[in-house]
Amino acid sequence: MLKVEKLESGYGPMQVLWGPNLQAEAGAITSILGPNGAGKSTLLWTILGGVTARRGKVVFEGNDVTELPAHRKVDLGITLVPEGKHLFKEMTVYENLVMGAYRKEALAEKEKTLDLIYSLFPILAERRNQKSGTLSGGQQQMVTIGRSLMTKPKLIMMDEPSQGLAPKLIMEIFETVERLKEEVGLTILLVEQNAAASLDAADYVYVMHEGTIKAEGTPEVIKASDEIREAYLGI
Amino acid sequence: MIFEQLSGNLLQGLVLGSVYGMATMGLSLIFGVLQVVNVGHGAFIMVGAFTSLMMFQAAGVPPVLAIPVAFAIGMALGMLFYFGALKPLVSPSGSGIKSLDMRAVGMGAGILVALLVVMRFLSAAFKLHFAITLFVAIIFLYGFLLYIYGGRRQDKAPELATLLVTFSIGVILEESVKQLFTSEARGFNWAIGKLDLGVTVLPYTKLIASFGSLTIAVLLYLWFRKTRAGMAMRSVVEDDVGARVCGVNVDWQYALSFSLGIGLTVTSGVLLTMFIPVGINPYMGGPYTLKSFVIAVLGGLASPYGAFFGGLVFGLVENGSYTLFAQFQGLEPFAMTRFFSFVMLLVILLLRPTGLLKVK
Repeated sequence: MLKVEKLESGYGPMQVLWGPNLQAEAGAITSILGPNGAGKSTLLWTILGGVTARRGKVVFEGNDVTELPAHRKVDLGITLVPEGKHLFKEMTVYENLVMGAYRKEALAEKEKTLDLIYSLFPILAERRNQKSGTLSGGQQQMVTIGRSLMTKPKLIMMDEPSQGLAPKLIMEIFETVERLKEEVGLTILLVEQNAAASLDAADYVYVMHEGTIKAEGTPEVIKASDEIREAYLGI
Repeated sequence: MIFEQLSGNLLQGLVLGSVYGMATMGLSLIFGVLQVVNVGHGAFIMVGAFTSLMMFQAAGVPPVLAIPVAFAIGMALGMLFYFGALKPLVSPSGSGIKSLDMRAVGMGAGILVALLVVMRFLSAAFKLHFAITLFVAIIFLYGFLLYIYGGRRQDKAPELATLLVTFSIGVILEESVKQLFTSEARGFNWAIGKLDLGVTVLPYTKLIASFGSLTIAVLLYLWFRKTRAGMAMRSVVEDDVGARVCGVNVDWQYALSFSLGIGLTVTSGVLLTMFIPVGINPYMGGPYTLKSFVIAVLGGLASPYGAFFGGLVFGLVENGSYTLFAQFQGLEPFAMTRFFSFVMLLVILLLRPTGLLKVK
């Protein structure tokens, strides 16, 4: 579904991505692991178009979409659950979710997607008229994921969805990610520092370091390699 | 007696304050979305005042009907200046757009301001207005070329750069209007009667201006709350990263909010001529820029509705303090009112830097 070829990007004089190659298969969870500063977030933002690609290609459903800006990517069905949530804190839960249905195709299916989100996260239905800034960290993360689902994505990229959450909530978030794959049939590109949980959920894993892909394989292969685990994952 | 005078002041203050508030909403909107302080604010008010004046003098159009025209002119000017000057400095994304190299911007802005200051002294001494206009045109061309051929950047420009740009825009407008209409102060007389309330007398023009301000404020509020486009702009104010992943074209929202802010500001110039239909000249904007800064701070800086309420407070204070200072022999009440306004600004900044009102 998504193919990244020798992608290079960065900020000003600082280059972050040094040509990683990777693929995300339709209907699978593809996980990108790696230490802080490996360029994982930059990779996701470059795929979305929020950071400009300098060289290389992003291919989505067979089309070259490298040059498209972020809002056009969302139109095509790519979205991102950003690190640090980035909710509209002064808006209610409901308003946040409706903002996710900003593009016209998504707006047409608003009610249907809302039902899905409320069934995934029943607590959000209860709190729909509460300002999102007043929710707990875990609930805010649910709104962030819900808001992304409202865009009716085919590919959903998640940047550290478990960051800053209690262990029990981390489990819940990973369960949700797996349900999104099983029940909704989404393609998921997951960036995580929580390597252990990520390896359990993923169908395929890339290990990223210093802006390139250092290793890849099924979770079993990665787990079996002491070398990779010690060098990049610290588990 | 004192009660009558006070209630008269209260009414006058609220009527004046609503127009002040409306005149600040554009400033707050632009700051809220772009984090740009529009130092050229007053110059756009001046453009509105001239629009009102010219339509009245040329065709007898009452200022009320000049409102939509002024709004359209403002939107157009906003787009022009956003894409012509501001975009490379504030546009939050690369997304395939070639933007200015920061060193070039810094150097260009520095040279621009130095030359503008020199030119302004020269023009005062030798009346070289045309040279300024020509110079500004050259700078714009320079900026445009840099914009097309310049390097790329991802981070936002320092505040100083955007301050210099809005300052320059203000000077460009003032000098252009001066070229067209000279610096002579003009006025017109739209007399449609007065309303005698016993405690005070209010001309209908003032009442219309006040009612118009309130209407525009309410419309803006509803637009922000109830429409898809308004929600999109609010989302950018609250979190532009969040807006981006929802598929909002953040770059376009920046352009739109700048031009909406300028549209509101130019419109407020028309409303102000209903209050003070005299003294319309290219440099009339200065005091309004300062007043709007005070009002914007009163209202919490980044909120258009806060600005409206800040305007009401400011109108009351200005009107009340004028009456108060006029009681004393030897005090010049007009000067004292301004003095008092800025003492108030300092006190508020010291005690409550987030503004008096917490309105979102």
